[in-house]
Amino acid sequence: MMAEREIAQRLFAKEFNGSTLSLTSVLSDDVPDLNSPNLLISPTGVRINRVFVVGVITEVENLGSETGKERDLWRARIADPTGVFILYAGQYQPEAAIFLSTVEVPSYVAVVGKARIYEPEKDSVFISIRPEEINNVGSNIRDRWIVDTAKLTLKRLDMLNEVFLDQQQGKDLKNDVKLKGIDPDLNETILDAIEFYGTDQNYISDFKQSLRTALLSIKENAGTEMQQKDNAENVIFELFKELDSGKGVQYSSLVKELESRGISEEVADIGIRSLLDKGECYEPRPGLLKLI
Amino acid sequence: MNDKYAPHIEELAKALDGIDQDDIQNELDKLLRFRVPLEEAKRTVLNKFSLKEAREIRIKDISKAPNSFTLKGRITSLEKKNFVLKGETVDLYSGKIVDETGVCLFTAWSDFCLNVGDIIRVRNAYIKFWNNRPELNFGQRSIVEKLPEDSFIPSNEQCFAQTKKIIEINSSDMLVSSQGIITELYHRVINIKGKDTTIIEGVIADETGKLPFSSWVPMDGLDIGNAISFKAAHVRLFRGIPSLNFTYGTSWELLPDNKCLFSKNVIITDEPTSIPIASVLEKDGIFDVVVTGNIISVRPGSGLIERCPVCSRVIQSNVCRAHGNVVGVKDMRIKAILDDGTGAVYIMLNKELSEIVYGRSMDEAENIMKVSLSKDAVYESMKRSLIGTYLTVRGNSSKSEFGTTIVARSAWIPEDDLLCRLELLMLKLSEDV
Repeated sequence: MMAEREIAQRLFAKEFNGSTLSLTSVLSDDVPDLNSPNLLISPTGVRINRVFVVGVITEVENLGSETGKERDLWRARIADPTGVFILYAGQYQPEAAIFLSTVEVPSYVAVVGKARIYEPEKDSVFISIRPEEINNVGSNIRDRWIVDTAKLTLKRLDMLNEVFLDQQQGKDLKNDVKLKGIDPDLNETILDAIEFYGTDQNYISDFKQSLRTALLSIKENAGTEMQQKDNAENVIFELFKELDSGKGVQYSSLVKELESRGISEEVADIGIRSLLDKGECYEPRPGLLKLI
Repeated sequence: MNDKYAPHIEELAKALDGIDQDDIQNELDKLLRFRVPLEEAKRTVLNKFSLKEAREIRIKDISKAPNSFTLKGRITSLEKKNFVLKGETVDLYSGKIVDETGVCLFTAWSDFCLNVGDIIRVRNAYIKFWNNRPELNFGQRSIVEKLPEDSFIPSNEQCFAQTKKIIEINSSDMLVSSQGIITELYHRVINIKGKDTTIIEGVIADETGKLPFSSWVPMDGLDIGNAISFKAAHVRLFRGIPSLNFTYGTSWELLPDNKCLFSKNVIITDEPTSIPIASVLEKDGIFDVVVTGNIISVRPGSGLIERCPVCSRVIQSNVCRAHGNVVGVKDMRIKAILDDGTGAVYIMLNKELSEIVYGRSMDEAENIMKVSLSKDAVYESMKRSLIGTYLTVRGNSSKSEFGTTIVARSAWIPEDDLLCRLELLMLKLSEDV
């Protein structure tokens, strides 16, 4: 049986960049187990190997020209509402490197990658992502990622909170967390995280504040986008009525007309699709639209 | 004998529960005097005693049974099978055996002159796991002894059917009793040994889940929407997914609405809801499951492919592994990994679903390939349009050595009321400030 695939964890840059506890599996007497994945433990106890991140790519830099560096090494910064993920793509990530060499900055990107830790000297730790997949996505996916990630993060914070409450009551944590039905592996990483980072109530309330800010930052957009969609739909519908003399309207001419009124092709397409879905119009033959 | 062996003797005594420590010591001593290495000596002692004193096991404890054991029970069904091993036809017998505590499948690898109804004691039996079920095996070293009739051992296996909710039924069950609503029902005529037989196939659901079922016996008066209660249906496995099989030993009755423990309407009109991928991974296979996540990887082999016209295998440059040179049939598919933060599954989309999810028809995809003159152009274009996006997939999941896979029966881009979820989270966040 093949090892189960590592989950792509969702976590914000704030938590990711603070994840300086690295877990190397040791078989026996300091012989590292090379087959086991590299793991970081985050301050809330997430076992990180692979991550899934959606954010704004704000800067791309080719480090290849610097002396002593690997040829074709690219560094990129990807911002979420809480901080910035650093991405390194070298010669062994050719697809990501090609993507970074041509990507438009700023734009929304989704990244799947492995967490890397680099500790050149004591007390200076760099956490980065080595991308496996990288792609341009729409703002809706970014917004949704933020909501998903906030939800998962909040769940972890609540779990931490419960552990603290138990701690205050002097319960035996090692055995007690198990009783709550928390996965024993997770239990262990939570306790490791508390011990290493000194994660406490302040951390929780501080992080909750960050979550609020993150959600607020997209709340406006999420609202306007919905409205925009509704507005666009209305405009399309009105224009449609104007143009349709009973014989239908060419899709291309409708889009062209809409573009002249400041509605982008993308939004127009979504609006027309939505009207089709709602049964307000139909497509008697490809490219021709007709009102019901 | 040297004291330094005392811990080893103790260890052996622990492993060989109930055997006199002096006997163990004598045996070990003898071997050590021959300068047999300690580890080998221990193994030999362990083997010698555990064989002699093979414990008697009840069927209910069979999954915890030692390597070799004794079991007493009644044969309730028996079938002779044969297979060809190195050019020789070998007979084997398989069936079911019951004792007071349960029922178990068995395979006898040689002819022990067994008959249905016999009560036997078998020594040196062993178990193997087959489809997650412990299966009793009688091998070359097994000794079968026929015993006189014992009325304490049940004469059929039906009394061991456990009552379970649909979701709890799994591959380790042999016989099961439950209740549910018939949500799908088909009659199919199949030809068995030259005789036409009508079999019934369908889907049965309760508030916890659903399973496919089939019946080889007529189920008169059964229709879609009926609630039924059934006893002792057989559990079979197909690609890790359990299915129920109604036979002559199975009894069932229609349930009047007032005896139905769950709401009929809710189950029949139930909208599919996504479950966390983590709970899909826990099971060997789930029938008709829905998951939602992000496409985090589009696997090689996605895009335009060619299949053998005879066997539908994927072929490269018009050569089929089984049928040689053939003219390939064009097809399109997507193989991807869907991850929702709790786990990851492989998903497979056929041509129709790929066209919907990818947003381009196969013809358009072929054009992309022609224009770019690259075989991978469609795969690359799929990656560009799919990685990172949200997708909901509905289908059967099954676990194999390649991981857990869902073969999609349908797939769509999930609707999401982002504002509503956002408000809800904000509310939760402000609770304790």
